[in-house]
Amino acid sequence: MKVELYNYIKAAQKMNRRQMLKGSAALGAVAMMPKTAMAGGHGNVRAEILKIPGVGAGSPTDSDWQKVGEMCLGATKGNVTEGEFAGVELTFMGLNNQNLHNFLFRGFLKPWEAYTGAKIKWIDLAQADYNARLQQSIATGTVDFDIIEMGAPFEGDVLGKGLASEMPEWVKEQIDMDDYVDYLKAPVGTWGGKTYRVSIDGDCHTFAYRKDYFGEGSVTGRDVPTTWQEINEISKDLVGKEDPLTGLPAHGYLDPLKGWGGFGFYFLENRAAAYAKHPNSPAWLFEVDTMKPMVNNPAWVQAIQDVMDLIEAGAYPTDQINADPGTTAFQQFLAGTGSMLMWWGDVGSSARTSDTSVVGDVVGFGINPASDRVYNAQAGAWEDTRNEAPNMAYIGWGVYVMATVEGDEKKKKAAWSAAAHLGGKDLSLWASAYPSGFQPYRNSHFQFDEWEEAGYDRAYIEDYLGSNADSYNHPNAAIEPRIPGIFQYYSVAEDELAKGYAGQYGSAQETADAIAAAWEKITDQIGRESQIAVYKESLNG
Amino acid sequence: MNIEGDLLHTVTADKISDSRKRLGKLMVWGTALLCVGLAVWQTAYQTGRISSGFDTWRPILYAYMAWATALCAAQVIVNGEKGKRTLFVLPATLFVVSLVVFPLLFALYISFTDWNLASPNGPQPNGWDNPIQMWNDSFFWNALKNMVYYVLAVSVEYVIAFGLALLLNAQIRARKFFRVVFLLPLMLSPVAVSWMIGKSMLEVRFGPVSRLIREFGGEPSFYGTPEIARFMIMAMDAWTFIPFMMIMLLAGLQALPREVLEASKVDGASGWQSFKEIIFPLMLPVSVTAVVIRIIFKLKLADVIINVTSGGPGGATDSVTSFIFREYRDRSNVGYGTMLAMVYLVLIVIFVTVLLKLVSRWMERPA
Repeated sequence: MKVELYNYIKAAQKMNRRQMLKGSAALGAVAMMPKTAMAGGHGNVRAEILKIPGVGAGSPTDSDWQKVGEMCLGATKGNVTEGEFAGVELTFMGLNNQNLHNFLFRGFLKPWEAYTGAKIKWIDLAQADYNARLQQSIATGTVDFDIIEMGAPFEGDVLGKGLASEMPEWVKEQIDMDDYVDYLKAPVGTWGGKTYRVSIDGDCHTFAYRKDYFGEGSVTGRDVPTTWQEINEISKDLVGKEDPLTGLPAHGYLDPLKGWGGFGFYFLENRAAAYAKHPNSPAWLFEVDTMKPMVNNPAWVQAIQDVMDLIEAGAYPTDQINADPGTTAFQQFLAGTGSMLMWWGDVGSSARTSDTSVVGDVVGFGINPASDRVYNAQAGAWEDTRNEAPNMAYIGWGVYVMATVEGDEKKKKAAWSAAAHLGGKDLSLWASAYPSGFQPYRNSHFQFDEWEEAGYDRAYIEDYLGSNADSYNHPNAAIEPRIPGIFQYYSVAEDELAKGYAGQYGSAQETADAIAAAWEKITDQIGRESQIAVYKESLNG
Repeated sequence: MNIEGDLLHTVTADKISDSRKRLGKLMVWGTALLCVGLAVWQTAYQTGRISSGFDTWRPILYAYMAWATALCAAQVIVNGEKGKRTLFVLPATLFVVSLVVFPLLFALYISFTDWNLASPNGPQPNGWDNPIQMWNDSFFWNALKNMVYYVLAVSVEYVIAFGLALLLNAQIRARKFFRVVFLLPLMLSPVAVSWMIGKSMLEVRFGPVSRLIREFGGEPSFYGTPEIARFMIMAMDAWTFIPFMMIMLLAGLQALPREVLEASKVDGASGWQSFKEIIFPLMLPVSVTAVVIRIIFKLKLADVIINVTSGGPGGATDSVTSFIFREYRDRSNVGYGTMLAMVYLVLIVIFVTVLLKLVSRWMERPA
């Protein structure tokens, strides 16, 4: 669970005295139990771990992570005997964002280390250094880690080059891969028909809107929009009106017009997905057989045109040209500027807890808006049918074992055991319910009864997590290609878009053509034939 | 005893046998041969001409270090006492060659390759493709054009810095306090400045400056148009570094000979006259130094831009360094990024050389 989400839920809990007393009484009763009775109580691990440290009892600490790791060791014990990995040393490379990620892994794996006898060395990286470090390791042949925490977009760089170890069958059983939400199943995490990834996270963009802008008597007087066409209409209509909450100028949808190290391109994708991701093909960024960019086809041009129309209409807040996605989410939407936004989970969760947020009580969620028409790239024509395509931006974090362990069976089993422990079904429930940096990603994470029983607010969970679940399991989810250098494509696209938005190109088509030309250059530089092969693999698994 | 050469600085005169000299030369040439041989072998292996070789270039590095050690040792073996004197400089020279010259040559090679870190084939020489791409890259030329604006802004900074230095040199109340206060911006990291000022105080919605402008009925926009955005970047950079020029000029002002100034007063010169005829000309050497150093600082401008505008809107605030940063870091485009960096290096060397030459000619005074 993202930290902000946890804080939000804590704030939104409205835990009353009765609930508090119930919790305290239960805690007292457990404390009085003999040890044997407590051991018996671990039968329902899922319910038990959700009580650590307890909803509303402050952020979990290292001792909590260790406790959870200890209680979730059951699956490991089924496949590994005590002390089996004595003498094995593994190196784990991951992130240290917000003191989460690797910090949690350390706690989770401490009991695992004690049980198996293996030792883990840690390489902690800041998010900004991650891509450069990984790419340099790959390019210079200096892979100095055995296990890596990695996002699926990098699978082309790592799996495509044969740098990872294939997942053994026993791991698949231990982590119950059938429980993954649909879009995280193959081809994600697979390459050449082989499975490599233990998923520990899911990602998608969901639609957040201000409830006070919609409905009868509201500033728009309209229902919540469900298509991009409606969003643009509403955004234009709002020009010159007043925000009901802040009294400042009212605004509609907030597009980030400035780049964000490649991540900003996901936000144009949100619009484009509805136009360009036709259900008849998983490809919507490049043509499968040639890697020819589709980014300058009529669907993408329409998405760019939509943004340019809103710039032309003066529908954005002042200085929007210098607003990156961080600005649109945290300095604008949460601070009461604008009424509609697409983002990852953080926005909904920060709504009530962020110091600058004023919109906590009026936020609603939905999936990526649809389009009234969709472009069929295969037929080369628009079709007047409604099309929904949630954008699975970044596809979530996973744990991968590197090929460095091959040739040493003991080390290989140890590495996979550690990865399976982190991606275990029960442990992941805890990670999705408490601050961890990860979102729910298994069907079993969406059993709202479990959350309610643990003390969470049912209405909130259903609204917010429901939009995630609907996106994850959507039959026409737009999934990015896991090809080498994908963020290079995004980064150069951001630069060209910025020029287009600043009026340096004559039209949306010219802007899109400039992006396509830049993408062609990158493809040629990386190697067209190899990119085509990898792209096909990434689509088919 | 050798009676030729520098006897003054020789403590002992060595009698070095021919066999010892041969040993020394053998050490140097033997290790050199080993190093070159291994390098040739590894190159042949890497290019697929032979089937066996090392996994990495590390053994060649070890051979180079062995050669460097042998070269140092051979100085003493072959030249005795004189060789020991060489040893004071030689290791440092080899160190510089290893860490500056080799990487520079390697960078030169990389800049003529298509190396993209995501490419499975590694660096492949691509002839003149990178310079041609650079020639046609409007982003690069745009960034270079922006650098001209940024460098020209130094002249305005100089005028302000000179004015402040004159003020702080005058007999004003709380002079020491003001000197410290004016120096404060220089103590801040440009990254901190870009966040505190560029992204907080100038934040359009709730930044205090924006609120103030709204109070007066205006609608704030600091990065909305290319001109204003570029001006804001210049202003933030100037705010940080004007104190640097100011403190140099202040030091120069304090070193001015009092007698000359007093003599001008006695002769009845007005304030403006003494500034124009005495202070400014006498301050020229300090001024030129301050401006040149400031220009060199300016050529490296990147942090504020990366943090505040990412080069936007549409590249209007990009400096060459911030553009190279995006090309190299975000796009892992090592070959082209290195080419841009090398070209920029050459441009800077030419520019600074010409600048210094002009300055020295301008500064030449009859004896």
